[in-house]
Amino acid sequence: MKQRTFLTTLALFLFFFNLGIFIVSVAMFRDTMNRAEERSLGEHYFIASALIKDFNAVESRGTDLDGSLSSLLQPYGYLSGDNKTGLAFYKNSQLVYSSKDATVLQNNSLEPPGNESRLATIRKVDDRTYVIVSGKLPVPYGSYTLVYLYDTTEAINSWSCLKNILFLAGFVLSVLLAFGLLIVLNRIFRPLKQISRISKDIANGAYETRLPVSGHDELTEMSQSFNHMAEEIQRQMTELKDAADKKQQFVDNFAHELRTPLTAIYGYAEYMQKAVLSEDDRLSALNYIMSESRRLQTVAFQLLELANLQNNQITCKELKVSSLFETVRQTLYGKLTEKDIQIEFSSEIGTIRGDACLMESLLINLIDNAIKACGKGGNIIISAAREAGKKTLSVRDNGKGMTPEIISQITEPFYRGEKSRNRSDGGAGLGLAICKQIASSHGAELSFSSRLGEGTTAKITFTT
Amino acid sequence: MASILIVEDEAAINELVKRNLQLVGHQCISVFDGKAAVSEIQHQSYDLMILDIMLPGLDGFEVIKQANETPTIFLTAKNSLPDRIKGFSMGADDYLTKPFEMLELLARVAAVLRRTQKTASYFEAGNVKIDFSSHQVFHDGQLVECTPKEYELLEVLVNNRNIALSRERLLELVGGYDFAGDTRTVDVHIQKLRKKLGWEDRIKTVYKLGYRLEVG
Repeated sequence: MKQRTFLTTLALFLFFFNLGIFIVSVAMFRDTMNRAEERSLGEHYFIASALIKDFNAVESRGTDLDGSLSSLLQPYGYLSGDNKTGLAFYKNSQLVYSSKDATVLQNNSLEPPGNESRLATIRKVDDRTYVIVSGKLPVPYGSYTLVYLYDTTEAINSWSCLKNILFLAGFVLSVLLAFGLLIVLNRIFRPLKQISRISKDIANGAYETRLPVSGHDELTEMSQSFNHMAEEIQRQMTELKDAADKKQQFVDNFAHELRTPLTAIYGYAEYMQKAVLSEDDRLSALNYIMSESRRLQTVAFQLLELANLQNNQITCKELKVSSLFETVRQTLYGKLTEKDIQIEFSSEIGTIRGDACLMESLLINLIDNAIKACGKGGNIIISAAREAGKKTLSVRDNGKGMTPEIISQITEPFYRGEKSRNRSDGGAGLGLAICKQIASSHGAELSFSSRLGEGTTAKITFTT
Repeated sequence: MASILIVEDEAAINELVKRNLQLVGHQCISVFDGKAAVSEIQHQSYDLMILDIMLPGLDGFEVIKQANETPTIFLTAKNSLPDRIKGFSMGADDYLTKPFEMLELLARVAAVLRRTQKTASYFEAGNVKIDFSSHQVFHDGQLVECTPKEYELLEVLVNNRNIALSRERLLELVGGYDFAGDTRTVDVHIQKLRKKLGWEDRIKTVYKLGYRLEVG
């Protein structure tokens, strides 16, 4: 593209530039010749009219005209004196006088037209160019022809010199132009080159690459939209990657949740089949098998619950907040006293709309998490309030808190804050996923705010 | 035989691995998180470490970095190729994924111990002594003539002692693919071994399953 532009521009320029020089030099040549011609015609006229006067004078004295022709013409031969002019005189096509350049006129009969008009011709003889003006003298000397010769070689030489200088200058200018053009084109095409390079980079996966933006022209605009495109691509790639990561995480976690109990069940069964066991060994192996089976069962139930929540519509009724809180308190009473945790309920609103069972399960799940976060001697506050016109339920604890990174993933199915997925204080990691699903099927939003070491607040905001 | 450190946070599986390894005579120490594993390794040297990857505190990859080149078998639920490659590139001797089979775990443990030269070169039970390096069997100090098949069968039984092995499994472990014979052949060889070594009550017939070498 660049090369093509360069070559086309250069060719067009060279063509018109040289055409210009050519036209100028042709015009100059014409001008030179015209001037020489005019000058010759003038001289011719001057000599002719002087000659007629001389002829009249000679004839009035009665002297023979033919005999005194050369003496009459002599002075005009010296007229210019610089050897650039010459004269020839014919009588009835017979050369009767010629100055030194008469050789030029040999073997050519420049027969002027019959009337008094004159004929001007240009002739080249032996590298020299002459303007030749021939014309008959007026009556009564019509049989005489005066030929005036003017040597324009020098003028033509100077013209050709000028012409050469013009073309030389033209060549030098063309070379300069070519360089200039190359530089300008390079400047113009640099952004394009940059774009193609950066597109290649982006295609190779360096999605963070951007074009530098400067100035206020079409290229800047293009760079901006290019950068915008790159940003969009990067954002979408990150989103896709995140989604894929999440999915992989889910699959990994799910596999772990299934594999661990299966490994234990199979392993203990195999152990019981193949090893010699004491009664104690046998009982503990059976215990392991049973507890791991129950664990699998729990995971299966929770998954089923999650799937049901996602698919089924729930039936909403007005629920009394006080009775909801009472049920929750009774359910959790054992756990709370065991861990010596203070729990407070406060309610500013009378009722909420929802499914009683699901709301209980939601609150119990959240409080359960709060209990795990607090440990012994913690403090949990459950409040129902109206915030910015919306009904909210919140569960606040003063436990160990979470990092924002954990909060962002906490409602993913099978997500566990503890990387090892240790079960010393927890289930499969489905509790909060279920909570979120319950909240969203009530048209509510579940959000968390937390500070490490200070505690966590889980808030359900009803939008209806 | 060998002293083995088991690093696994799931109590059930930790206990399972421990019991399996104890059956064939290894001494096992159980720890349940990465930090405990590292301090255990630094205080005492182990012949082998069975290591989970997903651990509380330090994960398995961190533990193996500080393991002072203790031979290590990863035992983990992570079975993706990148994880396996990472495990091996960090110096693991083997990589086993859950769920695993008891015999496979034992075979891999035996293989790693053999490579790291920690297996005993002989085995002794009662008045029978087996020299693994020279493939010789002694009964009351007297050399016992054994056919190669009988010796191989004996070795398999010793390596998987206290574990019941089915006739099919024994055929597989002894002969590989070229061992022509049906399960009856196993019975014949077992009878011969019992007679030669006086192990009528050590090599037990397990009802509906196969045979088990019981050693205290």
